[in-house]
Amino acid sequence: MTNEKKKRAINRLQTMYPLRALVDGMYEKAVEASKEGKPTAWCMVNWWGGDVILRAMDVACVYPEDYGAVCAAFGAASDYLARADSDGFPTHMCGYARNCLGYAAQMNDLGEIPPEAPMAGMPKPTLLLSSGYFCDTRYKWFQALGRYLDAPLWVLEMPHPGVKENRMEGAREHDVNFLVAELREFTSFVEGLLGKKMDWDRLEKLVDDIIEMNRVWHQVNELRKARPCPMHSRDFWSSMPASLYTAADPEETAELYRKMYDEVKYMVENKIGAIAEEKYRLAFAELPPWHSLGVFNQLAERGWNFVIESWAYHPPKPIDLSKVSDPLERIARLTYQYFSGYFEEAFKTGNWWGYFAYPYLEFVREYQCDGIVLHPLLTCRTATNHLMIVQNQLMKKLKVPSLVIEGDIVDLKLFDPADALMKAETFEETMNHYRRVRKEEGFKW
Amino acid sequence: MVTGKVNRKEILLVSEEVSKGLTRAKEIYQNRTRRVKELKQEGKKVIGYLCIYPVVEMLTALDLVPYRILGDMSEPITKADACLPAVVCPFLRSCLDLGLKNKYDFLDGAVMAHACEVAEKMAHIWRIYLGPPCLHFIDTPHTAHEAAQRQHKELLKDFKKTLESFTGKELSTERLQEAIKAHNQQRALVRELYELRKPDPPLISGTETLQVMVALMSLPVGEGNELLRQVISEVKQRKDGLLKKPARLLVWGSIIDDIALMEMIEGLEANVVMDDTCVGSRAYFPEVELTKDPLDGLAYRYLVELKCPRTFRQAALDETNKKGYMADLESRFGYLKDYAKEWNVNGVILQALRYCDIHGYEVPGLKDYLDNIGMPNIYLEHDYSEAALAPLRTRVQAFLEVIG
Amino acid sequence: MTKVLIIDADGRICVRVVGPTGAEHRRLANRVMEEALERANLSFGEISYVIATGYGRLNVPFADRQITELTCHARGVVSLFPTVRIAIDIGGQDAKGLQISDGKLVDFVMNDRCAAGTGRFLEVIADALGLRVEELGGISLKSTNKVKISSTCTVFAQQEVVSRISEGVPLEDIVAGLHDAIASRVVRMVRRLKIEPDVVFTGGVARNIGVVNALKENLGCEVSVPEDPLLSGALGAALLGKELTLKALAKGEPIQRRERHLEEVTFFK
Repeated sequence: MTNEKKKRAINRLQTMYPLRALVDGMYEKAVEASKEGKPTAWCMVNWWGGDVILRAMDVACVYPEDYGAVCAAFGAASDYLARADSDGFPTHMCGYARNCLGYAAQMNDLGEIPPEAPMAGMPKPTLLLSSGYFCDTRYKWFQALGRYLDAPLWVLEMPHPGVKENRMEGAREHDVNFLVAELREFTSFVEGLLGKKMDWDRLEKLVDDIIEMNRVWHQVNELRKARPCPMHSRDFWSSMPASLYTAADPEETAELYRKMYDEVKYMVENKIGAIAEEKYRLAFAELPPWHSLGVFNQLAERGWNFVIESWAYHPPKPIDLSKVSDPLERIARLTYQYFSGYFEEAFKTGNWWGYFAYPYLEFVREYQCDGIVLHPLLTCRTATNHLMIVQNQLMKKLKVPSLVIEGDIVDLKLFDPADALMKAETFEETMNHYRRVRKEEGFKW
Repeated sequence: MVTGKVNRKEILLVSEEVSKGLTRAKEIYQNRTRRVKELKQEGKKVIGYLCIYPVVEMLTALDLVPYRILGDMSEPITKADACLPAVVCPFLRSCLDLGLKNKYDFLDGAVMAHACEVAEKMAHIWRIYLGPPCLHFIDTPHTAHEAAQRQHKELLKDFKKTLESFTGKELSTERLQEAIKAHNQQRALVRELYELRKPDPPLISGTETLQVMVALMSLPVGEGNELLRQVISEVKQRKDGLLKKPARLLVWGSIIDDIALMEMIEGLEANVVMDDTCVGSRAYFPEVELTKDPLDGLAYRYLVELKCPRTFRQAALDETNKKGYMADLESRFGYLKDYAKEWNVNGVILQALRYCDIHGYEVPGLKDYLDNIGMPNIYLEHDYSEAALAPLRTRVQAFLEVIG
Repeated sequence: MTKVLIIDADGRICVRVVGPTGAEHRRLANRVMEEALERANLSFGEISYVIATGYGRLNVPFADRQITELTCHARGVVSLFPTVRIAIDIGGQDAKGLQISDGKLVDFVMNDRCAAGTGRFLEVIADALGLRVEELGGISLKSTNKVKISSTCTVFAQQEVVSRISEGVPLEDIVAGLHDAIASRVVRMVRRLKIEPDVVFTGGVARNIGVVNALKENLGCEVSVPEDPLLSGALGAALLGKELTLKALAKGEPIQRRERHLEEVTFFK
């Protein structure tokens, strides 16, 4: 990571480092809180609604899905996976889930955090918060944790509409009402569990800070449309967790994103790119190979600038919430916007898979990508299902080719960087070809 | 008797009328689309549905014929690979594959629900690649929370609007109540049929029952009820019953829409006397309460009463944890204990399709529960292909030897 | 491998025959049986009961009954080691874990899908190394620094081994690494059962001392291996047949036997 040669391949943003450090610190913070007898929670990413409630109640959160990536990167996952296997969990299931189940099983046996657990480990939680977006694993996994953990579980529902159904009269309203009702129920649940009342003023401030944080973060990413692109996907991936795992105070996080905005703006004005020579602009879907990000440096040396990526990690399209007075409704609408913000455009163009898949059409067009790298994962079907449609649609509608490189979220052997680089050379010819095709057909790039 | 110039079509009709009961069920199982295609000739519209979460009463109420979309275990999956990765539920891939091979072109529309994440994606994929004239996706909530129940009713209202727009007819309360009664009648008849599995030996096998279930899902509700009456009457009078075998099994888990697995199990020293699957008791046992606004009863039954593990259930908020683990398991699986008692079950086969998360995550907890109540059990994972049955046979036989 | 075991009423082994199965196992069963009868100096009619077990059990037309290899192995191992709780069998094509309580099989796990945790794994890689499977055990004992084979798949492990060879890694360390790979994979599967002593290891692969040691290491406990590790399945089957026969005789009931002839399986007569 501190290799001089690697640093030269990609211009890492200075303002990325403090953002990354924020999230790295969350494990230690949670363990400390637990030692002091304060409440802690294991959460699935819940796109802010659950997090603000917990934060307002002074609950320290950790995210087992991130911990899965951490264990994988540290080479610590295999023991936990083996334990989940022997406890009877089928091996095709989410690697993060199995890692966490194995970890929880060991923690249950030992009565404390396993000694070899990477970072500070995850403390025994006071509660579990799972959420409804995208995958069944989110709630089934946490339900299965009941075998090992003495912590009640709340499943926070999130509506998951179809593009067409969402346009029907009253549909968006009943969805938002549902989200708000769920958040209210969750608040009562936490109040009852912790034996204290919600500080609504504090919650309101946190909500507003999160909305602002996302607004700034969105603006940062808009700047990446510039040529050359000033911010590489690696910096996105390093800076993004702070917006999803609300490990730090959102006001502080927003300030860091503001600083990032200034840095990126400066680069745009001075036409400084993230890499030395931007020969190709690439998109990436969906989850990056967290443990092997070095391959992007090698691709950067070939002139590959990754300019946009991972729809699921992106902040929502901006939305005007000024007329909404109830803070829970404000945050609910932000969550809903995250999920369905592309639906209107998708509907107009008859693209029925409005989240995950359709956004890449916009991404590739607006960021003017020459190609997209698709990363199917063996045990994360959720982040893999849409990739074929993305491939088909991008070629059909935008004449942009895809390069498929397989991997897995915890089985690191499945991703072969050498193989990826070998394919890269051929893919450059493909991208060159389709540039010509697009030119002939009148595309802007 | 037909005399004079013989019309070939008339002879065919005469011989068709003869087939009833179990024979008819078997015929329909083997050729599912025949009846609905005849109905289409008569001008009826057929709407396909995936899984048991779409509310079929709303289709029946508008004189639409509900037709359950199923797969084909003997058809190798080829076209679906272009749309969905191979590491995904093989049953749903099979359904998609058949759709892409034009086997479902006769459908006038489709309704799909958020049964599981892959089923949810199927709705989008089906719309993109197959584009039927009408497709509606019901985003069934994941839990039985009160807010979720209210949301579910709202979603059904949206579904109602789509159907009214599609048919140009009003889905009136009266029509809906009639439909609910007819479907409840079917459920009562299915329960009656299942009663006939309680004796030792059972009067109807698991294989035969499955054929009847598949047949029901290929017919309008009235015709299905008639078929059930025939089957029940026939089975009650059976002299050539089944063999008495030491093992009386319950099969739990992912969808089984093909008799291959049942036949394999029943070819050994076992009778399958009960099931907890969705081409089986899960689809039929819960009834719809006749509420003033019928949508209330429907919304409740379909979200709260259906016993598929895709719905998150908990006994009490503070019982989904280690201390309350057994209480939580009891609230989730207690009904299986009741089934086991009523049907005199002495072994449970837990089966799940490979890549099925909904059932996969349940297995350790369910095993804990069954072990706790002293019910022998075995977990089988399979991939919706006939070739995979041989190793399963060894495991099932070994299981029977263990409990024997 | 096809194995035939004939035992007498006291459970003593009269004769044992082992032959490679190949694709023609349907025909082989009767041929191996004939050889066994010849060696035992018995006629087919003198055999009181025949039990067939294993993959080909459905293709032994002259068997009175077929019982799964899981039950038979358990019975066989119990007769050799009465205090056994866990029996691990690694054969050419599959691996089994058996949980035994009070001499009875109560639970099991099985891998018959993936070559990596079976004898096949060693065969394929031995072949790639130009070695015979029988040599592997002895070679691995010389290892001082066993290699970690990271691939879980036989095909990829083979590639990994080849690159290690070219890197100059000593052969014995690689072979020890292979033994560890197969042992850890099997143990991972067997851990789904409750592991308690005594643990017994059977099957063709149990003849490999390297794997025996690796199994001990991965389990963290002692492991016993019978003198004749290939025969526990056939032994168990024969003992079960004996039990069925003696039980019937004691009750004065006829021995439930099929009308049988010692002949090949044919499709058309």
